[in-house]
Amino acid sequence: MINFQQVSKFYDTATALRDINLSIEKGEMAFITGPSGAGKSTLMKLIYAAELPDSGRITIAEWETDKLDGATIPQLRRNIGIVFQDFRLLLNKNVYDNVALALRVRRIPEKEVKALVLDALKMVNLRHKTDSFPSTLSGGEQQRVVIARAIVGEPIIVLADEPTGNLDPDTAAGIMRIFKEINVRGTTILIATHNRELFRDTGKRVMRLDNGNMVNEERG
Amino acid sequence: MTYSIKLALQSLWHEKWINFLSMLTIAMGLLVVTLVVSSIYNVNLFARKLPEKFFIVAYLKEGLTEKETQHIMSSIKDRGSIARAKYISKADALKELKASLKDADYVLEGLDENPLPASIEIRMKKEAVGPEAVKSFADSLRKIEGIDDVQYGEKFLLSLHSMKTGMETIGLILTVVMISGIVFICYSTVKILFYRRKDEIETLKLLGATRGFIRTPFVIEGGVIGAVGGIISVIIAAAFYFSVFYKLSATVPVIRAVVFPTELFLSLPAVGLFLGITGSLIAMGRIRF
Ligand SMILES: Nc1ncnc2c1ncn2[C@@H]1O[C@H](COP(=O)(O)OP(=O)(O)OP(=O)(O)O)[C@@H](O)[C@H]1O
Ligand SMILES: [Mg+2]
Repeated sequence: MINFQQVSKFYDTATALRDINLSIEKGEMAFITGPSGAGKSTLMKLIYAAELPDSGRITIAEWETDKLDGATIPQLRRNIGIVFQDFRLLLNKNVYDNVALALRVRRIPEKEVKALVLDALKMVNLRHKTDSFPSTLSGGEQQRVVIARAIVGEPIIVLADEPTGNLDPDTAAGIMRIFKEINVRGTTILIATHNRELFRDTGKRVMRLDNGNMVNEERG
Repeated sequence: MTYSIKLALQSLWHEKWINFLSMLTIAMGLLVVTLVVSSIYNVNLFARKLPEKFFIVAYLKEGLTEKETQHIMSSIKDRGSIARAKYISKADALKELKASLKDADYVLEGLDENPLPASIEIRMKKEAVGPEAVKSFADSLRKIEGIDDVQYGEKFLLSLHSMKTGMETIGLILTVVMISGIVFICYSTVKILFYRRKDEIETLKLLGATRGFIRTPFVIEGGVIGAVGGIISVIIAAAFYFSVFYKLSATVPVIRAVVFPTELFLSLPAVGLFLGITGSLIAMGRIRF
């Protein structure tokens, strides 16, 4: 489902990723860990084509990311639900509209949007914040809105970049339960985190990045 | 689509002052264009009616024989650009003058001899009426033996013609300037709105929005701004027409001859819509992912 072959990404001043080989199967749940600046977010951006690799090849489902254009990039992204490390919530829209956006960009009829959005908000325990604006929410609540937006469209891949960074251990465990649930239903999930608690005892693959290099792979 | 419309309306409302200002400016621009176009329209209309009324009078010398007169008539009629030539004898001329004086014809009573010359009234073919053609025709008439003098509204014809071409030139320039101005206003309005929502657009792209999805609300917004500008200009023009023009035309007869091209007025909202959409499309340019 997600395939990297000898992928490198350089920024002007830094090497973000070097010769990464990576293969994540359909329906798999996997983790990427490593210290700050290791290249975790960059790896995610390469998957949803916000960045293109400087060398190597990336295949996501049926798409090769460097062959994408204005017409196919939206198609790829509609199949990926993203929990952005920096949230990317629209501050002038309430919780409902923020989550609904993921469906509206797919031109899903408003009738269906409502039920799906309320379901997703229920899953992250934010049903009571439907009409609130992001600025009035706590960090953890904002993070859960982002998670609801990522899963509401039932994408085939969910990328979660530090999805529990602002959550207390109990809430974090609740979010992990949601990810496991949608993973059981067949969604491929890739989680970037430096929180070991998230992958401890999961038995899932954990890939460790350091300074842009893939240093080892273990089971959680 | 409904969502795009909702977004556009929200944004229109949210930025109502900048939008309203743009609409007013566009309305003014469209009004100027309308004014220019209807002036040109009227001058053209007038210029087109003119050839039917336009005639040349050739005054004949005194004491020509009937044969000589007939010779002159036939040599005039032979020319291709003539529609009609009518001989007016000295007696006819006097009769006409008397008729036009009506009750005041006593002023002619003391005359024992008819002082009016005989003349030929010539109407040219419509397509032949133009300052140069008429002038050369008049000159050729003057050369005919037996013709004393030739008169026509030379100055008038010339000034009408130069007014027509002058107005067309100025009108064309003004129209182009105004239309570019309107497109530019829509362009910059949408550009500002687009930049203000840059982050939002970036997020939309990452969520999988297509170019169309991103563009549609802005195109609608630009179109609405242009169209409402057009509607405002129609309202202002109608208000002007009924309050000033309509009343004036009752007292000042010249104004009655002025024609307002109604179709032009009613098309203003559509023109505004088109210009607004054009401006916003240019403002967004190519959206890159
Ligand atoms: N847009 C950019 N321009 C230049 N350098 C960048 C850019 N984005 C990331 N980098 C650099 O690339 C390296 C990897 O960054 P990345 O964001 O992938 O790290 P990360 O593993 O996600 O870190 P964190 O755990 O803090 O989120 C860093 O050295 C960073 O400074
Ligand atoms: Mg990161």
